[in-house]
Amino acid sequence: MKPAGLRARFLRQKGTLVGLALVLALLAFAAAGPWISSHDPFASDFQRGIAGELPVGPSREFWLGTDRIYRDQLVRLAYGARLSLLIGLMATAIASVIGGAVGIVAGFFEGGRGLRIPWLSVAAFVASVALLPRSIPLSLGLFGAALIGVLAAQITGKAPLGAFELNLDQSLMSFVDVGLSFPFMLLVMAVGASFEHTSVTTILVTLGLTGWLGTARIVRAKTLEVRNREFVLAARALGQSTPRILVMHVLPNVRGPLLAIATLSVAQMILAESVLSYVGAGVSPPTPTWGHMLFEGQEVFGAAPWLFLGPAGFILVAVFGFNLLGEGLRHALDRSDR
Amino acid sequence: MRSTVAIASALVLGCSSELPAPLPQGHPDDATPRRGGVLQTATFGDIRSLDPANLGDGLAPQLVQLIYAGLVDYDRDGNIVPDLAERYEIDPSGTRYRFFLRHGVRFHDGEELTAEDVRRSFRRSLARKTPNAAKSFYFTIQGAEDYANGKADDIAGLKVEDTYIVSFLLKEPDATFLPVLSLQAVRPVCRSAGEAFSADFFPCGTGPFKLQSWRPGERVTLSRHDGYFRPGLPYLDGVEFTIGVSMLAQRLKFESGALDLFRDILQPDLLRYRKDPRWTPYGAYDPASQMAGEGMNVEMAPFDNVELRRAVSAAIDREQYRLVKPTMLHALTQPVPQGVRGHNPNLVCQKYDEAAALEHMRRAGYAYDPVTKTGGYPRAIPYYAYPAGVTEYTSQVLAQQLARIGIRLDLRLVSYAAWLAITHRRGQAAFSYQGWKSDYSDPSNFTETLFHSSAINDEDTNNPSFYANPKLDAMLDAAHKEMDGPKRAGMYDTIQQFICDEAPWAFTYSVSFYNVWQPYVRGYKPHPMWQNEVRETWLDRPGTGRGAQASGRMGHGKEALLAPARSLPRDP
Repeated sequence: MKPAGLRARFLRQKGTLVGLALVLALLAFAAAGPWISSHDPFASDFQRGIAGELPVGPSREFWLGTDRIYRDQLVRLAYGARLSLLIGLMATAIASVIGGAVGIVAGFFEGGRGLRIPWLSVAAFVASVALLPRSIPLSLGLFGAALIGVLAAQITGKAPLGAFELNLDQSLMSFVDVGLSFPFMLLVMAVGASFEHTSVTTILVTLGLTGWLGTARIVRAKTLEVRNREFVLAARALGQSTPRILVMHVLPNVRGPLLAIATLSVAQMILAESVLSYVGAGVSPPTPTWGHMLFEGQEVFGAAPWLFLGPAGFILVAVFGFNLLGEGLRHALDRSDR
Repeated sequence: MRSTVAIASALVLGCSSELPAPLPQGHPDDATPRRGGVLQTATFGDIRSLDPANLGDGLAPQLVQLIYAGLVDYDRDGNIVPDLAERYEIDPSGTRYRFFLRHGVRFHDGEELTAEDVRRSFRRSLARKTPNAAKSFYFTIQGAEDYANGKADDIAGLKVEDTYIVSFLLKEPDATFLPVLSLQAVRPVCRSAGEAFSADFFPCGTGPFKLQSWRPGERVTLSRHDGYFRPGLPYLDGVEFTIGVSMLAQRLKFESGALDLFRDILQPDLLRYRKDPRWTPYGAYDPASQMAGEGMNVEMAPFDNVELRRAVSAAIDREQYRLVKPTMLHALTQPVPQGVRGHNPNLVCQKYDEAAALEHMRRAGYAYDPVTKTGGYPRAIPYYAYPAGVTEYTSQVLAQQLARIGIRLDLRLVSYAAWLAITHRRGQAAFSYQGWKSDYSDPSNFTETLFHSSAINDEDTNNPSFYANPKLDAMLDAAHKEMDGPKRAGMYDTIQQFICDEAPWAFTYSVSFYNVWQPYVRGYKPHPMWQNEVRETWLDRPGTGRGAQASGRMGHGKEALLAPARSLPRDP
């Protein structure tokens, strides 16, 4: 795959360019952040920001009006862009890593011998799920320990307190299928609601842990196609280790679809963050995010529609931009599409 | 997809700015009440029980008020007056009350009310197995507590003296007894209710209306009780409550004439109704009987320091709080809200004074210089509230205001259940949103209930500041027993002043709801205690004496359209 060809294919589509422009504009808007206006995103203006017991609408002083407690809406949107985009990108990164790893492993071992799962790892995994709402570091630590236990059991062939055989692909994909059978937003809300006190970390964990299922399915399909190619067989014949084959030969060949899905998923994550904020499981005020601002706006829509239309417009632009960009990437990277 | 279209059209409809003209009266020059017609009203919530012994939600009382009458009740000026009782006597010791019942009062089933019915209804309501949350209000009656706990077979202090005379013996003089007796929990119920509480009881009492039908989640229909003891009343043939109607749908139904009276009004609509001169004569606020404040736990640092509490109280600009939701909030600087007995508008209690707040900070040992922004309290204080209604916004205004005197807050908006558990448990939350809604109209309900040391519990405390002061306890106890009205009022002024100065809470705002009615709904005004009190209301539609029936179906097309939008949240 030559870079020049890739770029040409990428740039050939007008939609992609529009998407790229929108995403870059949003990034610039987020980077400008609080400097976009002279108003403080966290300070209410009880003198100029209020008109007839209602927030003022779009005006020369406040370009996009003021919010429920008379703060400048535009500067809050710019400040909120940082968090909304950060959450979108980070959650996608988490979901892509998990989904990519699960997809590659499942695809590569499809039809193969079972995996030895130590009972200790199962216990650690169960504990990790149970502890998730209470302590994220402890939960992630236990999850990591469970994975290390599984790896160790494959390499050494030993497992204290016993182990059982598991067909890796079937069990992973069954898990994915169960997860996918729930509507994504519902799953996000259920996980989000289980946290007592929410923060950026809990939102990232929620979105990252629920968003990888679809990615895993697609990456697995691509891996199935790649694993029987000559270069993989050759690497195996040369005696390369399985992890090395996965990282050096399989991963570069599933990178295209993975990247394309990831770009599309950023949009979905921004939307999902709005949903979380909308049901009250978002970040704590006064920190703004687009989703939370949308929630604040809907209540007074009849009297102050700008409070709803502002964040809704930005979410729309972000979703649209990332979708166009993702589509473009998918076309450019997918060889069968030519 | 269809629901999306419906919601979108609802939003567009909600956006229209011009209010329709009020519907005219039939006889504008004639104030003689007319009989007939069914009044239509609605509520966004649902009603769980219409049994006075099991009032679990905030919506049922308005219906219970129309179905059941009590020994005493509040009149339209907020005074307690005899109702089922013709008169009552209080002996000089203040511990014995005798009620003389009216003769010939009929239950909805035609039986005559006697003193024995009063006693039976009391026993039923206070019995151990009855799910009545207000039982403890009556523990001032001798033996009531033992009876409610199952330790006695009868309420020792409740005596039937004669067919029409019932008397109560109290443990000690208690000025809150009449306010508590005017509550709905102990109102006489028909004999069909039986001796013990049962969920099967078909609501039946001595009130102006009887229950005709009740389809849960849908509609409650009341019809006139022809044997009501006040001659000529009620004027209406009936009242129909539609249940679970969204606030937006209520407005649309009201404007089309399908509702005659409504109070679940969205903020923008409320502003328009309040501003439009055609509508202002037909709208009014319920008296404010809820209040809110910022609760400071005096057992926890840093609020064990009274100067810091005073600094917070003086740093809060209550006018800015009010502006968070000007249609519903009123600035409040004392514990008792405006709509409750004991509120004194002349009392200068807590007040906004930033210079004084900075001086209190200095005395507390955390001097702050607002120019250089140095000093102040060194750590961010966790503040607990729940993300529903206005508290989410007032907490942010609070954080801004306290930042000006050098106090930083770490806002923790948690679920309502978590907020309740954290802020009502000892030693958990130093600073939190707090509020109280009146149980009965008396200053003790906002002072003794919240700040007496006996209200402290390790779990589920009624006194979330854990404020305990023997001096205040003694003042509260004395006022509780004082039977002389004006003297008692003066005592509560002193008590409120004392609490304001000690500042276990910084009192911030009170809440009240706005009612709007069509001009042809006559003789109606918000009652000081009960919502939708329509026993003296009549309908005066043009051309007909019984108007509401005909238009009762008009709004149904829109109702179907709006069905998916029914879960709009209500503030606060």
